[in-house]
Amino acid sequence: MSDRSTPHEEALLAQRIQTGDREALGELYDQYASVALAVALRIVADRGQAEDLVHDSFVTVWEKIDRYDSARGSLRSWVLTIVRNRSIDRVRATRPGIEIGEADAQSLLQTDTNPTWDAAVARLGSAELRAAMATLPDEQREAIELAYFGGHTYREIAGIKGIAEGTANGRLRLGLAKLRSSLRLTDAAPGSGGTDQ
Amino acid sequence: MSEQMSHELVDELAAAFALGALDADEARAVAEHLASCQEPHEEARAALGASMALAMSLEPAQPSAGLRDRLMQTVERTPQPWLAAAPAPLQERPARARGWRDRLLPRLMVPLAAVAAVAVIALGVLNLNLQSQLADRDRALRAVADAIASGQAAFRVEGQDGRGYVVDTAGSGSTLVVADLTSLPADKLYELWLLDAAGTPVAVGTFRPSATEPAVVHVEKDLTGYTTFAVTVESQRVDSPTLPNGADSLVMVGAVGS
Repeated sequence: MSDRSTPHEEALLAQRIQTGDREALGELYDQYASVALAVALRIVADRGQAEDLVHDSFVTVWEKIDRYDSARGSLRSWVLTIVRNRSIDRVRATRPGIEIGEADAQSLLQTDTNPTWDAAVARLGSAELRAAMATLPDEQREAIELAYFGGHTYREIAGIKGIAEGTANGRLRLGLAKLRSSLRLTDAAPGSGGTDQ
Repeated sequence: MSEQMSHELVDELAAAFALGALDADEARAVAEHLASCQEPHEEARAALGASMALAMSLEPAQPSAGLRDRLMQTVERTPQPWLAAAPAPLQERPARARGWRDRLLPRLMVPLAAVAAVAVIALGVLNLNLQSQLADRDRALRAVADAIASGQAAFRVEGQDGRGYVVDTAGSGSTLVVADLTSLPADKLYELWLLDAAGTPVAVGTFRPSATEPAVVHVEKDLTGYTTFAVTVESQRVDSPTLPNGADSLVMVGAVGS
């Protein structure tokens, strides 16, 4: 299997895992472990912890594959969302007053995807995706990174940056819209390409 | 925030939802709204999946050599709850083929309980208008029931349009039963395919959903040598098939075992 599977290949892999095929889980690991580790490492900034999180995330896939619905999103999306949310949980555990422990439940909610993003990810390499991120105005890119890699809600971002909640949310919306534009994704997107609200 | 959200608020929060930047209650409310709402929500749906581009933009990091082995060791002693709770395996039929299909068999026996349930439901529904009109269907379902009773292999086929089972009725082909199919326009029908390890497809039968009956397809072809079931939506029966590779037309898949 190549490193960018077709939906058909992913569906078969998921089914094999669900029937108890450990080799299939190994194939899934071979395909996505390096990206999963990159995500965890970016969030927790500690290699030992990041590898533990990747290990635990693939065990979660093994234990909860029956809840995965291929009609809602790709297996890759689900795996990486589990890794991201578990990593955020780990970071949040060090912050006072933050609710933790719903990482896996959240992952099921957030698996929904959109074919245009899937197509862009399948078409482009990581360098091209990074280049598209670099086209964003600083405040939008920073807001997106605080959200996705920092695990902050838009309300927390508003507090961190000393801006209104609506402005923080607006930066996320505009940032994603501009990213879509940079990646030449053509279906519906927020209308404005402005730099801030 | 468990109350229903307005369409406007869902659109406003969609980017934050896609980036995991909502608290748990808000995220749940947005997800529930999008799952049930008939409005297009173009902005919201356009944002879904954006996080994948962020994850894939990172430079991949090579895991240490021992991590894969550690994972495999953990998995080996970690039961999958649905398999652990399964009833004792049913009697295995005499081996007909060797290789990975044989390795899959013990795991694929597990869905037999669910197959039995599907078959019972199917037979119950069928009783509504059994007798003369549905003699062929009745025979097919009886074959399924007999196969289950004798412990023959059953394989799950599932996807966005429904789920069902194929029962290998040794010596007389196999039978697909699907009980919860998505309805189709009048000019469309479902096509069942078999694929070999090289991915070569063979169209083996068409069927249509019904509000009151399970779909039943009898497959005369021997399953030996085939690895995959697939179901597509077609406008008409394809006699010289080339199975599309796109997700839009491939609506159910399943692995063939022995």
